[in-house]
Amino acid sequence: MKRTIIAILALTFLCAGLGLAQAKHPTELKYSALKYEPPDPRAFRVTYAGGLRAYVQEDRDLPLFNITAIVDCGDLYVPKDKTGLGSVLGDQLIKGGTTTREGAAIEERIDFLGGSLSFMVGERTSTLSLSVLAKDLDEGLAIFFDVLRNPAFREEPLMLAKARFVEQLRQANDQPGTVLSREYEKLLYGENALTRQPTKAAYEGVSASDLKAFHAKYFSPRNIILAVSGDFAKAALKTKIDKLAAGWKGGTVSFPALPKSFPAPEPGVYFVQKAINQGYISLGHLGLEDTNPDYFAVQVMNFILGGGSFTSRITTKVRSDEGLSYNQGSRFAYRWGLPGTFAGYVQTKSSTVGYAISLILAEFDRIRKEPVTEAEMETAINYYLESFADTFQSSQSTMMSFANLEMTGKPMDYYKTYRSKIQAVTKARVQEVAAEYIQPDKIVMMIVGDWEPCDKGGDKWAGPLERLGKVHRIALTDPMTGVEIK
Amino acid sequence: MKKRILALAAAAVVLAAFAGAADVTLDVKEHVLANGMKILMIPKPGVPRVVCHIYFKVGSINERPGITGSAHVHEHLMFKGTEVMGVTDYAAESKIDARIDELMGQIYRERFWKAGGDAAKIAAWQKEVDELVKAQKAYIIKDDLWTQYMKNGGTGLNASTSQETTGYYVTLPSNKVELQMLMESDRMMNARFREFYSEKDVIMEERRLSENRPGYFFGEQVQAAFYTASPYHWDVIGWMDDLRKMTKEDLVAFHNTYYVPNNAVAIYVGDFDPEATTAMAEKYFSRIPKGPDLEPIRTGVPAQYCEKRFYGEGPAPTSLQMMFHTPPDGDPDSQALSVLASTLGSGGGGFRGGMGGGGGTGRLYKSLVRDKQLAVNASASSRAQWYVGAFQFSATPRVDKGVKPEDLEKEIWAEIDKIKKDGLTEEELQKAKNRSEAMFIRSLGSSAGLASRVGRAELMRGWRSILTDLDDLKRITNDDIKRVAAKYFVKDNSLAAIYTRKMGR
Repeated sequence: MKRTIIAILALTFLCAGLGLAQAKHPTELKYSALKYEPPDPRAFRVTYAGGLRAYVQEDRDLPLFNITAIVDCGDLYVPKDKTGLGSVLGDQLIKGGTTTREGAAIEERIDFLGGSLSFMVGERTSTLSLSVLAKDLDEGLAIFFDVLRNPAFREEPLMLAKARFVEQLRQANDQPGTVLSREYEKLLYGENALTRQPTKAAYEGVSASDLKAFHAKYFSPRNIILAVSGDFAKAALKTKIDKLAAGWKGGTVSFPALPKSFPAPEPGVYFVQKAINQGYISLGHLGLEDTNPDYFAVQVMNFILGGGSFTSRITTKVRSDEGLSYNQGSRFAYRWGLPGTFAGYVQTKSSTVGYAISLILAEFDRIRKEPVTEAEMETAINYYLESFADTFQSSQSTMMSFANLEMTGKPMDYYKTYRSKIQAVTKARVQEVAAEYIQPDKIVMMIVGDWEPCDKGGDKWAGPLERLGKVHRIALTDPMTGVEIK
Repeated sequence: MKKRILALAAAAVVLAAFAGAADVTLDVKEHVLANGMKILMIPKPGVPRVVCHIYFKVGSINERPGITGSAHVHEHLMFKGTEVMGVTDYAAESKIDARIDELMGQIYRERFWKAGGDAAKIAAWQKEVDELVKAQKAYIIKDDLWTQYMKNGGTGLNASTSQETTGYYVTLPSNKVELQMLMESDRMMNARFREFYSEKDVIMEERRLSENRPGYFFGEQVQAAFYTASPYHWDVIGWMDDLRKMTKEDLVAFHNTYYVPNNAVAIYVGDFDPEATTAMAEKYFSRIPKGPDLEPIRTGVPAQYCEKRFYGEGPAPTSLQMMFHTPPDGDPDSQALSVLASTLGSGGGGFRGGMGGGGGTGRLYKSLVRDKQLAVNASASSRAQWYVGAFQFSATPRVDKGVKPEDLEKEIWAEIDKIKKDGLTEEELQKAKNRSEAMFIRSLGSSAGLASRVGRAELMRGWRSILTDLDDLKRITNDDIKRVAAKYFVKDNSLAAIYTRKMGR
């Protein structure tokens, strides 16, 4: 299949390259047809011992071996009285060693082989990833499964990690961008597992037995999906993994209830004081889940509004026309099983904070009330269709995408039907979803900046910021104690 | 001269080189156009996408005081259209644009050349400019090049300016590489810097974003203090004063000097046919006239003959930096310094380690973070640039235990003295070599990463330097390590920067 496509391509290139005259403008270019079908996840699905699922692709281009375990486990499952456990687990699964290997010895060995082994804890999924040269596959795989199955969470590295995390807390309010996104989410989601911040006491309270219990609860073969690619034979790899996973049982995993209801914050301006020369701004409200049937129309709509970089309206207006900012736009962020967020965003000098917000609000309003143009639709839809193959550029990321589809319960024909769903989006649908998912009467405007010059405004938009809505001044908390800074 | 280049091009030899025991090939096909522009190709059959990058041998080191930041401003302006792109009626639009430039020239003179400029005059001229900008807008097709790329499935669309190079990037479907060749060759020849004045405002906002990163100002001053004479003295973004006063004329001169085909490399990585791509490159890039030869940078790094110490305080974490001048890229000592950085500060997981980093297996981590528990992190890195080199130690003290940056400085000097005396262990040397080889193999897997590495290397020492550097690194002995440590890690060649967090900001 692959070969024939290449042959056809080569032929068409030859015609295009040699046959046609030099074009002066892109509209004069004629492109040969390019047909691309995404790989079918079913062709890569394997089940190993203990019901361990995997997506596996042989890729002999380079003598490498890559494996990632995606575990249905994350910060959201951490109980309230154990806040901080997720970060500590992220650091200690490897560094804490296994029942038979010291953490330092594992790191040393992987490093000596020129490999990498890393573990990350996310919101609802955690990933352990190994990459080694193919010649080191056996040794690497043995270490990988040892870390996955038998972490020991030794006391000494744990103490060290906790001290480091406490030191890092000092930086929690340093970066204006970090403060903005944290406070924006706190406002939209309220106080729950999504927004809880660890304190010094929380970190110090995390014990090795907490980590062991948490690991035992979620690291079960039926709660993990592997993504594997590289220079190996599938059958031989199966024998190896079956052996390493043999006897690994793990019980039935039960998950805590996810936060369901969220507060409706009072619309208006929320201001965090910081002595900087710009305002960092997010304005919006909660969004939707990516399993919503409107997802595709929302993607196209947001591309036109502020997601399609220089082709989008917010960038054109705020950056290109007015020179107000370097970074601006709008985004719908998604979370597995929970509504995501919607935000217009910009960072601009203090005197133009009010003006930039007013321009973004006007764009929110316009896309709800007026149909988008044919040209805008063409650019947005063609972008998604023509760039589609990018998703499958690397074998490992393709296997990861498939594993994630299954993990999050998305349909396995997601990629197969993706382009037709984008193609089905019409101008009318764009306007409908804009009206439904952008809600001006619910908008909160979070600003991190220097109050006086921001409130004063400038020539094109004079303050006060109250013109935009009721102003709430937000006090930050001391990251060490969690107590509000007066 | 011309004939010889042509003869070489006609040969269009397929050159392959082998690296290491794993027998992995970096196969780069080369083609040189008559105007001196180089076309490099790395075919990777598979998914029908092609990474298309162009690199110019120009960056902030080609600037001088007064026009700092102009390489980067110029990169932004390259997206503002040409005689055929971004404009509906070039003849009408260019007249308005010329008048705007004329008025802005008057405003700049009044504002920046005189002590007390006439505010009324400036306001009147500005009013006229504002009206002209409105009139011009009727002829401008906003971000035309960007839109063309995006609606044709362009991803990874961007450009970047560093101290030495400027790159323009897009990844396209395999059947649309011609679009890149057309638009890139067009903007090399016919760029028109519309919306120059509002774009400068955008760039000043970009600079402010950096300024609001805690510790940025201190870092900028440390760099300026470390490189007193060479043009590495200033940051790529440039000084705010220069951005404010920069004129369009400055940039036109810059463009005409450096954006010539003999100063450029185009590189393609992905699923394409090299012969057809070569023919296409001939068609589009050959139409650009060759420019004059370009002189290398004149000013190097004069010997310090003194230790530099730098102190600051502000809103970033308390930290220590120790910097030493080392030789530029390509020097025989570079690889030994790389091995040293890797061993002192290498990572214990993840790819972020690179040559340097602060993870769990480096000597500094083991000693200062794990065993003595004096630091939150401790790392080392070695960076050989085209005309300068720097070896840097960075560490953050355990403030909770009352440790000061100066305490860590003493500890690092003790580690340096150990290296000067005993060098590294056999295992450490082998580990650094293994890591470099594995990193090289891994780098071949990423099309965009490969394009960037090969394309940039080609501009200075040729892409084969990637392979010869790796071979050189594998030959490093412990004597080399001891020798470079003794040669470069001396106080008269150093700068120590001590930063203390000042609360309340």
